[in-house]
Amino acid sequence: MEEDSTQGLEALYRAHRADLLRFLAARTGDASEAEDILQELWIKLRQLPAGPVANGRAYLYRMAQNLVVDRLRERQRRMRRERVWSDDRTGHPAEGMEPADGSQNAEDLLLEREEAALLASAVTTLPDGARRAFELHKLEGLSHAEVAARLGISKSGVEKHMAVAMKYLRRALRD
Amino acid sequence: MTAGSNIDERLLDEAIAWHRALEGDDADWDGFTLWLEADPRHREAFDEIALIDRIVEEHAPTLRQLTVIEPIEPEPASPARRRWLVGSLAAALAFAVGIPAVWHSPADKVFATSAGETRQIALGNGASVDLAPASRLIARGGDTNRLELAAGDAYFDVAHDPARTLSIKAGDYAVSDIGTRFELNLAADAVTVAVAEGQVSVSPDGGDATQVAAGQQLVALRGAQGSRLATVDARDVGAWRQGRLVYNNTPLTVVAADISRYTGKTVSVDPAIRSRQFSGVLVIGDGSRLLANLADLMAVSYDEKGNRVRIRAADRR
Repeated sequence: MEEDSTQGLEALYRAHRADLLRFLAARTGDASEAEDILQELWIKLRQLPAGPVANGRAYLYRMAQNLVVDRLRERQRRMRRERVWSDDRTGHPAEGMEPADGSQNAEDLLLEREEAALLASAVTTLPDGARRAFELHKLEGLSHAEVAARLGISKSGVEKHMAVAMKYLRRALRD
Repeated sequence: MTAGSNIDERLLDEAIAWHRALEGDDADWDGFTLWLEADPRHREAFDEIALIDRIVEEHAPTLRQLTVIEPIEPEPASPARRRWLVGSLAAALAFAVGIPAVWHSPADKVFATSAGETRQIALGNGASVDLAPASRLIARGGDTNRLELAAGDAYFDVAHDPARTLSIKAGDYAVSDIGTRFELNLAADAVTVAVAEGQVSVSPDGGDATQVAAGQQLVALRGAQGSRLATVDARDVGAWRQGRLVYNNTPLTVVAADISRYTGKTVSVDPAIRSRQFSGVLVIGDGSRLLANLADLMAVSYDEKGNRVRIRAADRR
């Protein structure tokens, strides 16, 4: 039974391979990256612990989408690191920091914390409605319907608040 | 972040709408592919939104600890809450960028751990602290007698000294009169103080103190929900240091907050079962089995989507 569900996914993969490739090419704008990601998806699929999957085709697309975002995030981290290196004149973190051991990890940790702090400060300056919707949905994990009920607004109201929040945070992180 | 200067508001709105639509199981992936193919800027706009969403998801445990989520009533945030929040943020920012915050002089000293990391800290005043993963302890103005647990969980071992006025703040509560070993846990919904040895005094902001003695545990729920004193096996206090999480009629939301810290995932509890409690032992290991073990022990299920987990009532089998 469990064996079957994984084999089911693999069969689905074979059935939808061409669609997935087309999707990935459109999603990345790069045919060879699309092939790479598809290969990665296949490897991931085979390592997957057996278990029932409700909607196999959507599941495959979501996996593919996640792999694209993994790469985006990795690229953004790399760019951030390079930017810091070129900005860094002293080569040492400011005084008052926890002692950095000079390794890549310590530097990355620092950058992660900076990013978290930036994000946190942006969240507090969000317009009130957007901030509350964002906190309930993204931090407390409520669904849009639950957020709507909690705030006494419509679901489309929640969606508007979330759109405001996402655009605002995007701007905050770009600067 | 990608350049994206030619991405206008409308494209971002479309990208946000697609991003939202793709969360459903009945998402129109073919339609999405066509939208992407229609204009390369669609991909750029979507990249930006997907990346922001991922960054938010990754930092959600930290954000949750910085921004105290308000209880249910839909009034606007009170000025007190905003002040509290800005104070914590100032500390977090000072820590992050390594500049002593100008509005705190002298600078706060911050001890912090990431998910999966623990830390032993000698405070130099006869007190030592074991800081659990994804936790943050702040010495206000650098004074190790004025501590605040800003996130997570810490185990304190404090030599008794009547001359000392050590106090530790956690959420709306403060622990004082300390000469003991005890554990302090801060979750979004509750503050928990469990004493292994000696006793401590726990008081809410502007409220009466409760004495908590060895073998006792105080669970104080946020808002006006009150607190509850219960017995606890002294050996189970701070058991995370031995790789176990031990619960005794603990609110499920507190268990979820602990699991968030050990897994780095955003673990929430379905409102329908939010008032449930859990008693039992979870083995921490690498954190990956915590949810499955909890599900086995208390007959709940959970849904996992990316970095988000929702604990809910069990499926009927």
